[in-house]
Formats: sequence, C-alpha cells, structure tokens
Amino acid sequence: MDEHLLDDLALNNGLKEVDSRLKLLLGLGAILICVFSPSPVTPLIIAASMALIIVGLAEIPPQEYARLLLIPVAFAVTSCIVILFLSGGGEPLYTVSVLGFTLTATTASANLSLLLMARTFGAMSALFFIALSTPMIQVFSVMKDLRLPQEFIDLSMLIYRFIFIFIGEAIAIHNAQVMRNGYAGFRKSVDALSMLCGSLFIRAWGRGEEMLIAMDARCYDGKFETGTEEHPVSLLSLAAVGSYLAGCSILSLLFSGAVLFP
Amino acid sequence: MKTDNPALEFDGVEYAYPNGPVSLNVVSFSLSSGSKIALVGPNGAGKTTLLLMCNGILRPDRGKVRVHGRPLSYDRAALREIRKRVGFVFQNSENQIFAPTVYQDVAFGPVNLDLPSGEVREAVHRALFSVGLSGFEKRPPHHLSGGEKKRVAIAGVLAMDPDILVFDEPTSSLDPATAAEIMDLLDELNSQGKTVIISTHDVQLAYSWADQVVLISEGTILHQGTPASVFTDPDLMNRARLTIPPVLELFMTLRERNIRLGDVPPAGIPEMAHQLEQAIGCGSRRTAGHIFVVDAESVSGEDIRLRAAERSITHIGAMGTPAKILAGTAEIPLDFTYGVIDKCLLKAVMGEDTLIITSGGMIERVHHRILSFSREHGIEIPVSDLDGQTSPVS
Repeated sequence: MDEHLLDDLALNNGLKEVDSRLKLLLGLGAILICVFSPSPVTPLIIAASMALIIVGLAEIPPQEYARLLLIPVAFAVTSCIVILFLSGGGEPLYTVSVLGFTLTATTASANLSLLLMARTFGAMSALFFIALSTPMIQVFSVMKDLRLPQEFIDLSMLIYRFIFIFIGEAIAIHNAQVMRNGYAGFRKSVDALSMLCGSLFIRAWGRGEEMLIAMDARCYDGKFETGTEEHPVSLLSLAAVGSYLAGCSILSLLFSGAVLFP
Repeated sequence: MKTDNPALEFDGVEYAYPNGPVSLNVVSFSLSSGSKIALVGPNGAGKTTLLLMCNGILRPDRGKVRVHGRPLSYDRAALREIRKRVGFVFQNSENQIFAPTVYQDVAFGPVNLDLPSGEVREAVHRALFSVGLSGFEKRPPHHLSGGEKKRVAIAGVLAMDPDILVFDEPTSSLDPATAAEIMDLLDELNSQGKTVIISTHDVQLAYSWADQVVLISEGTILHQGTPASVFTDPDLMNRARLTIPPVLELFMTLRERNIRLGDVPPAGIPEMAHQLEQAIGCGSRRTAGHIFVVDAESVSGEDIRLRAAERSITHIGAMGTPAKILAGTAEIPLDFTYGVIDKCLLKAVMGEDTLIITSGGMIERVHHRILSFSREHGIEIPVSDLDGQTSPVS
C-alpha cells in the first residue's frame, strides 16, 4: 500500500536494531553541517554517503529511495533556476529574454544557486536517512529520553496512530466519489473535495468520541504507556558516527573557499 | 463450566438516547456465571446499547444493572472497579486500538490501573500469548490484518484480567476462517472460567456456539433460553427479523416431509448427518474411528509427531494457542485449526482415526462433546490419549 510507504520502509530497514539516539545524532548532525557549509562540496559528499548508507546499510531498495528523493529535488531544482536568473553580481554568463524581460545568469548567482542546491540535497538526504532508518515508535522513546512533556508525547503518539486511520478513511471516501464520477471536471472536483473534507471532519469527530469511550472502558486515568527500547549503543558505532560527523566538519572547513566560479 | 449464580442481571432497565426514541424498554434478564451467552437481534434492536450498560458506559434511565449480584454505582472509583471486571471488546477494533504499537495498546489498561511496570509487562505478555500474538509487541496496528487487530483488541481487555467478557459483534467483517478462529478463542477463554457475552445477528453462530440465547427486538427481550428453544420457533424468528439456522431449518423441513429424524434438534453437522443416515436406513455398521486427545502442555511436539505417524493417524487438529504454537514449532501438519471437534467427529464416524491437540480446560470440553455425541447417537467413539489412557471425565 502506497500510503504506508515511508512507514513500511522504516519498520523493515536494516538499521532498525541500532539505537535510535545514534541515528538521530547522525542525521541531525549531517543536516546542521549541510546547512552551515560555505561550499557545495561537503553537502554533496554527505548526500552521496547518505545514499550509500540508506541503500547499503538500511537496505532500502535504490529505486524506492530515488523515487522519494525525486519529490524534494524537483522543488529544489525549480527554486534554484529562479535564483540563478533573479539574483545578481559577478560576470554575466548567459542571457535569455522571456516575454520582453531580459534574464541574466551571472557567476555569483550560479555559485549561490549551486550552493543552495547542494545544501538542500545534502540536508534532504540526511532527513531521509532519519525517516527511513528510524521508525516513529523509536522517535517517541527518544522524546521520552529527552524529557519532553508527557502530554506532548501522548499527543504525538495518538496523532501518529490516527494519521493512518485518516488516510484510510480519506482513500475510502475518495474512491466512493471517483466511482460515482466525483472528480470529472473542475467544478465537480471542487465540490467533491469539499465534501471529502467535510465528511472527513465529521468522521474524525466521531472517531474521537469513540476513542474516548474505548479509553474509558479500559479505565483511562491519564496514563499512556510509552514504549521503551533497550538497544545498547556499541562503542564502535558511536565512534563511527563521531568520526563521520567530525570528518564532514573538517571537509567543510577545508573546502570553505571552493566555488564553481571563483 | 456453568454455575447458577448470576454474573450479570438486568432488572427493569429502560433507556432512551438524549433527544432520541426509547432504545431499551423494561429489559430484565439474568445471565449465569461461566456461561456463553449470545445476544441476538436485528440491526437497531438495542444490542449495543444494552452491552454498553454492562460496564457502566451508559447509565440506564430506570432500573438496575447488577454484576455478580452487586448493583452498579456510577462514581469514578466504582466504575474503575467494574471496568476491570467487565472487559468490553468493540465491534470495530480500529476504534479500540489507539496506541502506536501493539505492546503499548495492550499495556494501556494495566498502566491505568497503576500496576507496577514489571506486572504490566507480565500482563501484556500473558494477554498476547493467550490470543496467540506473542512476538507482535513492536508492530504498529496499521500493519496488522483484520483478525490480528481483533486479537490485539481482545488482548487489550484480557490484560486487565476481567471475569466477564463482552464482545459487540465479534465476527463482523472477518473472513469465515478467521471468524471461526476468533470464536474458538472465545471458547478457550470461556473454558478458563470467564463468562462470555457476544452480540450477533448471525443465527448459525449463535445457535452452534451459545449455551444461552437472549433474543432482543425493538428494545425488548422477546425470549431467553437455550439455542434450540429460541431458534426452533418460526414465529419468534419472524418477529425478530431473523432466519432459522440452516441446520435447524433442514431438520424441520425434513420432519415436515415425514422423514423420521430424531427428536433432538441437531447441534451441528455431525448430528444432522447421523440422523439422516439413520433415517434413510443406510446407517452403516462400520466401526467408529478413534479420537486421540493430547495435552499440549504435557507432551512434547516431537513425541506427538512420531506417535501420530506410528499410529497412522490421518487427520490432526489443534485447539487453542498453546496447541497451535506446539504444532508450529514441532512442524506437525495440521488439518483442522478451527471447528476441530466437529470435523474430528465427522471423520470418526467415517471410521478414520484423528488426533486433537489441546490444553487446559478445553480437554474436558472435547471429552464432553464427544461423549454427548456418542450417547445421543449410540455410536461408541473411543477417546483416549496417545498412551491409550481414557477419558478423565465420566
């Protein structure tokens, strides 16, 4: 089922037995390095190494990973094209005229858009590493370790559970509408979508009421079990994560001056 | 299993939903402890309303609900106590399972009963084991099948160790095999001494499964009695918008056509088949097959497999979680995993030897069923364990 794709992949990934704090440290560390890196080199190295880790260690099928990555990359590419032609400075490289406007790409704008592209790509890869290697359930137990408020964790858990119920309901309603010609034409689509939203809201409300009864029937007294996991952190993996992050930081210092058009 | 002291009593209960029509109208009945009760009625008869009163979710406008002789009171502490004793399994398991993992959901009740964490873990493992889902602790509910979700919902209730279990439409939206397995699980829970109440409009299910049937229609109780007494009354069935269970209907139709069947309505296919055989007069004189019954908790799987091969037993069935786990680990090929006793009886009548692996209180249930079948039909079906030791019950 496609609506469960990310969750399915994360639950069966090759790194699921690894301590989730370590995975979050690696992912968040890499994101920060990407965002602060002054040159496009380090983020691209991070993107490449994350791809290797995700496909090699987490055993995510390469075509699935490529398909997932395509979504944010498509956004990033379009934004970078806009920046390439709209920001200025440096020598002009290329000029086009669109509807009477003259758009010019310069060396500085090329540098900037490449840097942005690399940062987004690298950070997205690191974010996908977290999403694909750490099931949500493990994130909850990290939240607990971080002493986040219990109410916040309880709510997140309920929300996580209900996302899938709502996706299921929405798909069911959508199918029922499509089967009766609901989305044929723009006007009908707007009508159908508004009905979908309306009935989803009412169903959500009903579900909430029913859940309260279900909780009451099991003596709800404000307590919620937070799953705990015991995966000992091996020194070797901690060292590997540490040296990876340190290596990336050093690289980004070394290449701090590296640009496409100096 | 059944005792005479009532587990649950409704005394003149009336209820109307706010701004709604009367949903229950002077409902009185009493259900004996340790029995299997089916609440049968058409859609909108008030079955769910009635069940929701068993653990104080709904409060009757008039009348009393008594659990083990004590009238329900509706303050917080009393409700907690009653909800611990009366477990409620919802029709739609999706509504009942709200935690992100199976473990967390099953632990919900015990945690809210303030059990220490060690006991919570123990209760969860025990509950998951008894529904046959050990090892599913970390799975999120949206990765489970319908039958598995139902089992998780049941485990969530069992973890609080209630002695009355209430199931609203336990088999709705399950495939037939899964539904039969869930009903076997209910039997297993009943054999552990729990009173089990289900609501259903599946007449065949109610007829073959229940000790007691409460027939409800338009908010009033039409009849309470044994399944045979309820389902053989066409007038009653009509009024309750129900149909007569197929086995019974066949029995009644054949009798109307002057085919001489027995006086006792058949409890299931084995009885019906036998009565027909007798009536047509080709009642064969072949010797009945042997039914071996082994206790999954006292014999090793390896042993069972070897001995079954030695005795060239052709059909093997397993009842209950311990037996199924044993058969799984010892790689014993199972022919029957649900409706086991009836299927083995049919084979036995055909002269084939069968083996039933089971455990606990269900051993007695197997012996009891086979014995009453033999008595009723005058067929001697030998029952023993693999050593030839015969029945522990008379």
